Amino acid sequence: MRREVPLVICFLLGALFIADYFISNPTFDRIAQTINQWAIIVISFAYVLGVANIARINTGVIKRREKDWVFKLVLLFGLLLMVILGIGWGIREGTVFYWVYMNAYYPMQATMFALLAFFIASAAFRAFRIRSWEAGLLAITAIAVMIGRVPVGEAVWKNFPNFTEWIMDAPQMAAKRAIMIGAALGAISTGLKVLTGLERTYLGGD
Amino acid sequence: MISYFILNIPSAIPWFDFNRINVLITLAVFFCFLLYFIGRAKKGKSLFIRRIAGLDAIEEAVGRATEMGRPILYIPGIEDMDNIQTVASMIILGNVAKMAATYETPLIVPICRPFVVPVAEESVQQGYLAAGKPDAYDKNSVRYISDEQFAYTAGVNGIMLRERPAANLMFGSFFAESLLMAETGFSTGAIQVAGTANIHQLPFFVVACDYTIIGEELYAVSAYLSKEPKLLGTLKGSDLAKLVIMIILVLGAILITANILWFKNWFFVQ
Amino acid sequence: MTLVEMIWTSSAALLTLFTFSYLYKDNPFYKFAEHLVVGVSAGYFAIILYYGSFVPKVIDTIFKQGWWYYSIPAALGILMWTRFSKKFSWISRFSLAFYMGIAVGVSIPLTLQNYVLKHLVETTRPINFTSLNGIWQFLVVVFVFSTLTYFFFSREHKGAFGVSAKLGIGVLMIAFGAGFGLTVMGRVSLLAERVLFLKDYLVELKYFLYMLFKYGILL
Repeated sequence: MRREVPLVICFLLGALFIADYFISNPTFDRIAQTINQWAIIVISFAYVLGVANIARINTGVIKRREKDWVFKLVLLFGLLLMVILGIGWGIREGTVFYWVYMNAYYPMQATMFALLAFFIASAAFRAFRIRSWEAGLLAITAIAVMIGRVPVGEAVWKNFPNFTEWIMDAPQMAAKRAIMIGAALGAISTGLKVLTGLERTYLGGD
Repeated sequence: MISYFILNIPSAIPWFDFNRINVLITLAVFFCFLLYFIGRAKKGKSLFIRRIAGLDAIEEAVGRATEMGRPILYIPGIEDMDNIQTVASMIILGNVAKMAATYETPLIVPICRPFVVPVAEESVQQGYLAAGKPDAYDKNSVRYISDEQFAYTAGVNGIMLRERPAANLMFGSFFAESLLMAETGFSTGAIQVAGTANIHQLPFFVVACDYTIIGEELYAVSAYLSKEPKLLGTLKGSDLAKLVIMIILVLGAILITANILWFKNWFFVQ
Repeated sequence: MTLVEMIWTSSAALLTLFTFSYLYKDNPFYKFAEHLVVGVSAGYFAIILYYGSFVPKVIDTIFKQGWWYYSIPAALGILMWTRFSKKFSWISRFSLAFYMGIAVGVSIPLTLQNYVLKHLVETTRPINFTSLNGIWQFLVVVFVFSTLTYFFFSREHKGAFGVSAKLGIGVLMIAFGAGFGLTVMGRVSLLAERVLFLKDYLVELKYFLYMLFKYGILL
């Protein structure tokens, strides 16, 4: 019962939404859209589990005075600060909540993104050590595309940009399509396995 | 009389969108392929699946973490359970948790979406149960970090740098953070196996990780690791669908070159 | 720029530098920035979900609009909280199954439409060996075919099949190389944006301090 009833719920809802794709009836569409909205509501309740998980793990580290416990205090402080500011003073532009988000989170996010420039350089350095024909193809194509998209490419060979476009339009597009077709078949197969109960790991044991 | 009936089916069933009949037929045929091979698997027929190096590497990574006495870090991507890659990742997590439980290797699972937390907990618990060690399950192994992409990445990088996992397994949907995590993992000397169907991130995983599982292979992992006949059957069904698509591709190209358009147009969804 | 704005911008610049310090090695400044941003983002999302989802979709719909059937998803959401109890955590499976069913049901036909049928249609185009476009189109079909053979699990990559799969690997590597090369410039431009932010901040700071000292406010 503890697993069978959820499996039936999963199957029925999945079948409903697959049917919704093929049915063009306004009432049926409205029902499906309403149930879709309900999913968003369930997600918002699930956020409490995430916050509780953060609180449990980090307070445990603080209590046991494990390594870097002081920084866990900073984490919990940040969490509580945003909750208090949001509930107390609102979230509109110009509020302290908004300013903390824009000046604490946003710079970090942008900087992490910027770090990618360094990491892509270190990854390229390793990738361009050609140890096999596959690695060679990858390296040569990457270099060709990089050169082809800057003015120096056209200066070296006037058809370099066209060659780069061809790489994007032919082999790259072909590989993309093949990967997407294969992945889509795998995704549909996994979805059908979940709906029919063949895959039930997400429900756990008895 | 029969032709009159056929011509009037659309008006007899006004609620059915006949523009999508091709999708329905394709889905039904695909489902039949799956059922056929599941049936063959149930009858005990052997189903051959070739060796996939990236998938063998998962066991190798778990073994290495066990030898070094360091944890396994399992990153299930940054999308929610509505992304089928995350669903596949949770299924793989169950298999990895079973291996980790068998070898008594700690497992860390940082999560980006709160709804994935209970699913991950159930998958890990199920893995420990399947290994016959339910009491060894540590509820602190599944850790919610943040919904935000780069806050999550920063948290995961922190785990890699401080807890020094010996094996990083990254399966699911990733975006720009893939390179950040893979490079950080590389700098710690961990063995890294990554798999995603997000095409734009595959180059970074190929370059930065020891093994990369590409696209459809991600969905084959659970069948490959568990060797369960019914799951292997669905893999074969998928292969048959692929073969049919390849035939359609060639046939379609020939027919359209000969200016026969109906074949290609049948697959067009309005 | 006012004093308050200068303080906020300074904190942004400081956190930027703390994050950049990660390039050297893990250090207390980076740890501070990391933990702060994880905490702030977790709190941010909790509040956004509260105002953006919980209040309009639960409180307002049930109590203001009187749509009592919206208490069904609210009940399912509350059932998720049974995970806090070891004895009753199995009840949360109903909510898990509810969401999984919807997610999978929505994705299956859309995936088939957008990733299988659409690509089949786009790949089947006229081939002819008299024009460059026709030859490229032939190559695209060959490349897609060979890459699909690589993803075959039921056969060993041997013989003619193996040759096709090897060609498929080659195509994949070319595609990955192209994707890698394409992304490099984009990533470098992100770094340039951050460096420009720091440069602009230093200019503003210099001017701000100059104005403060000039009018003696700081002293």
